[in-house]
Amino acid sequence: MVSKILEIIGLEKKYNSGFSLKVDRLFTEENKILVMIGPNGSGKSTLIRIINLLESSDSGSIYFNDKLITGNGVNKIMVRKEMSTVFQEPLLFNTSVYNNILMGLEFRGKKISGSKEIFNYLIDKLKIKNLLKRNPKSLSGGEQQRVALARALILEPKLLLLDEPLANIDQLSREELRNDLFDILRATGRSTIYVTHDRNEAMIIADSIAVINEGRIEQFGLKDEVFRKPASEFIAKFVGVETLIEGIVAECKDNVCRIKIDGSKNDIFAVAASADQGTKVTVAIRPEDVILYNIEMNPGLSSAMNSFKGEITEIQDLGIFKKVEIDCGFKLVSFVTQNSIERLGLEPRKKVLSSVKASSVHILAGRALNADRQF
Amino acid sequence: MELIWQGIKSAFILIFSGNKEILEIILLTLKVSGIAVIISMVLGIPIGLLIGLNNFKSKRFVITIINTGMGLPPVAAGLFVSLMLWRSGPLGIMGIMYTPTAMIIAQVLIASPIIAGVTLAAVQQVNPKLKLQALSLGANRVQVLWILLKEAKLPALAAIMAGFGGVISEVGAVMMVGGNIKGQTRVLTTATVQNVRMGNFDVAIALVIILLILAFIVNIFLTLIQQRENMTWYQRFWK
Repeated sequence: MVSKILEIIGLEKKYNSGFSLKVDRLFTEENKILVMIGPNGSGKSTLIRIINLLESSDSGSIYFNDKLITGNGVNKIMVRKEMSTVFQEPLLFNTSVYNNILMGLEFRGKKISGSKEIFNYLIDKLKIKNLLKRNPKSLSGGEQQRVALARALILEPKLLLLDEPLANIDQLSREELRNDLFDILRATGRSTIYVTHDRNEAMIIADSIAVINEGRIEQFGLKDEVFRKPASEFIAKFVGVETLIEGIVAECKDNVCRIKIDGSKNDIFAVAASADQGTKVTVAIRPEDVILYNIEMNPGLSSAMNSFKGEITEIQDLGIFKKVEIDCGFKLVSFVTQNSIERLGLEPRKKVLSSVKASSVHILAGRALNADRQF
Repeated sequence: MELIWQGIKSAFILIFSGNKEILEIILLTLKVSGIAVIISMVLGIPIGLLIGLNNFKSKRFVITIINTGMGLPPVAAGLFVSLMLWRSGPLGIMGIMYTPTAMIIAQVLIASPIIAGVTLAAVQQVNPKLKLQALSLGANRVQVLWILLKEAKLPALAAIMAGFGGVISEVGAVMMVGGNIKGQTRVLTTATVQNVRMGNFDVAIALVIILLILAFIVNIFLTLIQQRENMTWYQRFWK
């Protein structure tokens, strides 16, 4: 059985500014990566500091490795020594890169000799072998963060806390460092809490995801669950759902609901356990689930229950993907490759046929989605 | 002009002749000021660190007291120590008035607030997030203070320089509590005053030149530590 490395229950922290952090329940398992995702100022970093016992909570419990680490009588230093944190800023000390990497070991009274293997692995993997004698001040932001990561990882912590470690790095270095870091995390299988506001990072590395907004966990679940079944419009937008359409449940039969869309003759079919007829809902469709066809070619019968005729209104270049917006009586967004653009001859004002499986259409809870704070 | 020129010439003769009395004065000056600065460092640096790195209710008030102490007139320090150590004073029983110990106490009273104040200002300039980073790496309280002091190394050394400069050039307090007794409590500054009063300008000039050279040597040493390249034990070991 996989045991929980960290569990938070009923945690609350209020600030004089009026901001409050409230976590009813959150946990992560051993050797798994929990990604905390949310906009700036949502409370992600605060939660990391509370987990790392750098700040105290007003109430609630945190269990680390099955031990309660909140309340009186906790040896905070001992707990911190079993974790290590990398913050958004590298926060390196005014000594050599080598000394910086060994600093945590030094605080633990340990010698490099016991960590030689991981040291060599990290300096090689993080490409900082040639920087060891340098002072961090002479390094680029990306290099500094590599050193900060090595400093945290060499401690082989029971729980690694990464608080937006890639946020302050330029785009090019970020992608490279992200790949290196994720390789290390996969290879070492380290239990990690990774904070980011980049959903792509979450999609790549997460086992489970907690979406935080305004100091509340809006949704917490396995990665696929959060990405496929966002619990609210906010989360849907945050996890990259480009198509959000309001409609009314017309009927539900055999776990498939037909949603009537205002101002469109197209109905949308969605797989759902149940939904009351006449309920106002919002349906969410991920752009990568929308398949486009050249309208002149008959795609033939398919298992996709939704197929809409529409006209391309805009094509945006997103780098690897092109974002194609289609007017089907409602706005539908699809991500396609350049290759598909060329093969299908896609361009603005061109008519296309798009299809989406009913299982890829997710019905978001109730009408009052923006006020939805029941999590 | 002749007086000054003659004075400088005689001063150099005096310096290089290896005059025993001058040598004793130099040694006592270094001893009193050196010990006073070391004690002031031991007191001032931790006080500066603790105040600078912690938040508490009366922090501003305490900082104001230290800042006032930084400008403490030496004669006030001398008077206070005299009152304490005077035969009928609270600490008179110790019998250390007019001894180098009394001079050291007075100088500690002058230098400690300077070192504490400059250290305090220095650590307040250090990125406060470094403290969090050190804690998150598992540092205990002493390790946090030490690592942040190292971060504030440059201004902290300036604090020591300021403290040393303050005490080696001081005359009022050491005159009051030391008494400028020949062979016992006479230091460069008090000896200079004495010789000017007696019209021995050549000796006074010699003493001032020595005082300047001493201050210069000590500050060269501290500046070298302060400004040297950030070499680590690792670099020194492998280079």
